[in-house]
Amino acid sequence: MKLLALSGLIPEQICDIVRFTGYPGERSVAHYCGYAEDYISMVKQDDTVDGAVFPKSCDSCRIMGSYLEDCGKFLYQLNIPARQDELAVDFLAAELEQYQAAVERRFGAVGSIAERVEAVNARNREIRGVYENLANISYREYLEAVHDMLTKPLFEQTVKKDLPEKKASGKRVYLVGSFLSGTELAGVIEDCGMTVVGDNLPESGRLAAMPEADPGGELYREIAACVLRGRLSPTQDNFRQILSADMEEIERKQVNGVIFVTQKYCEPYDYLFSVYQKMLGQKGIAVTKLTLSDSADVRKAGLTLEAFADVI
Amino acid sequence: MAQSILQIKSRLLREYYKDFSKYAKGKLPEKKVAWVTAFVPVEILEALDISYYYPESYAAVIAASGAEQPLLEESEARCLSCDCCSYSCCIEGCLEQEKGPRGVPPKPDVLIATNNQCNTLPTWWNILAERYQVPLIVLDYPGETADRQLAYEYVTKQHRELIAELEKLSGNRLDPSVLAELIANSERSVAEWKQVAACLPEYEIKPTILFDDISFLITSRCKTETAELYRLMNEEIRQMPAAGKDKIPVFWLGYPLWYHPDRFLSELLEDYRIVGSNYVTWWSLNYSGQDVFEKLFQAYNFTFLNLAQATRNERLAQLIGESKAVCAVTLHNKSCKCDFVSAKNIAIPQAEIEIDMIDRTFVDMEKARRQLEILKDAICIG
Repeated sequence: MKLLALSGLIPEQICDIVRFTGYPGERSVAHYCGYAEDYISMVKQDDTVDGAVFPKSCDSCRIMGSYLEDCGKFLYQLNIPARQDELAVDFLAAELEQYQAAVERRFGAVGSIAERVEAVNARNREIRGVYENLANISYREYLEAVHDMLTKPLFEQTVKKDLPEKKASGKRVYLVGSFLSGTELAGVIEDCGMTVVGDNLPESGRLAAMPEADPGGELYREIAACVLRGRLSPTQDNFRQILSADMEEIERKQVNGVIFVTQKYCEPYDYLFSVYQKMLGQKGIAVTKLTLSDSADVRKAGLTLEAFADVI
Repeated sequence: MAQSILQIKSRLLREYYKDFSKYAKGKLPEKKVAWVTAFVPVEILEALDISYYYPESYAAVIAASGAEQPLLEESEARCLSCDCCSYSCCIEGCLEQEKGPRGVPPKPDVLIATNNQCNTLPTWWNILAERYQVPLIVLDYPGETADRQLAYEYVTKQHRELIAELEKLSGNRLDPSVLAELIANSERSVAEWKQVAACLPEYEIKPTILFDDISFLITSRCKTETAELYRLMNEEIRQMPAAGKDKIPVFWLGYPLWYHPDRFLSELLEDYRIVGSNYVTWWSLNYSGQDVFEKLFQAYNFTFLNLAQATRNERLAQLIGESKAVCAVTLHNKSCKCDFVSAKNIAIPQAEIEIDMIDRTFVDMEKARRQLEILKDAICIG
């Protein structure tokens, strides 16, 4: 079973999913997020993909099922609540139970969820250990290793810890954005003499900060709480929580500049940027925004990043 | 009779706009103020005597008055990408400059957004929450794809919680019988509006009147006068001549173009007659249910854009069939991805036009003209 998951909002504790990391195919839908479009293309065209699981959390994902409806593969859309209170945890817990049932109807039993919860907890603990040392390792190699890991089934995942050391520069930057398909961008940042000391990427900072679920507790509620109570995506409609968590980390790590990466036509990050840059401005921290047109577009970033490195 | 329609419209508009800019200089409003998105259960707010305003509708008014361009520029200068929904860009510019054709709405005490229309609105409203530093309540409607019972319990708990929070804010206590009566008003408004909308294929009327006057169903649906307004409009329209048969019947699939005097591309559609529109059905909410909570759930969880694609296909097919349109103009709206995909499976020829409902500079008119000529050729050959 190869279920392609679009987003970090799809929990890994229910069943094996493969994280979508990018697709270099053709796109055809105007004004549509390039990342979502690449995902649609991969689900449709990659014969090794048995199904797609994606959240209802932004307008691109909301209508994704309409584009995929004729592909003949297993499709599941999770209603990720637009709030994070107890009502939302209860609702998402019930949704997760139904999601598991749908997967099992199609593919058979998914195995022990408690064991998966423990495995996710243990893996995230290891990621946290590496993440806290970001300033001293190659960020590009770290991200590449994480991406590679997320394309494997949970029990085959290992966190690479022997990453090459890299001397930190005085230009300490923080990276904000959605899943960074083009890991070359991380290399460009480093080539410009900047050191990434933290990020809020779903595959990195957000995994490192994900609360641990109790394998002995009410499992679906525990998993739902992980999705709703960790570092949030702007699609979860709680900018205050994002701003508060990010600014705390930015100040704690004495960041000189923030690199804000968005996908073209990704409104949640565009809205977040408008308040993010204002808040950074009040703190006297420089920020630059890179808008990528698709999941592999890093071509134009070099010049912008060179200029930004000079500024900070 | 026409005078009565005008009187009701004037009264509703006067009531809605009376406080715009009045409180800009620090005077406190008599009532608590909420800003709401277009599918918030405003019956609850009305029952608690809270004033409510619709920024989206105001963006439409701004564009209709021709004032949107400097506000869109202002918004972009303030780092909000012009790729974002132009309702939000227009309003951000308006709030930044504190300028609009009717002033600016009174500052909110609370912001209430829903995701039963799209996911962009609640995200946009996070910016408003940062601007005004007031509570943001996001009502989460899972829609048709979720299990019905699960969604009902979740939504109803949110409605109960909303009532409790707004009681605290307003200092008023909700009277269930008042809420029931307001919901009944909304039901009557919807029923009368459906009669008005049904006139479009049958009588010699422009869709402009429907695109403009549906605003009362959005901003005033639970007020007593709204149903009466639509009843009178229905009577008046039905005395007009029957629709001519000499033009190509076309379905307008998408938003009205608020910046356009006719709200549609009338200069390119001289050989066509608009006989149907999905937009004018969006607020025809179905308030069926045994009690107020079931009615509110039914109405607000199953809004058109919160339905599964298969149901939207059925609804659209029915609307198009009833209109007897032979082709469609489908707006690929820069600001609304969700609406465009509704048209995915319609069975009549369509011209798909890249456009925006607020930003008049977005459309390539020559390209649109060519597309409509090709559409006409396709129909004539067919």
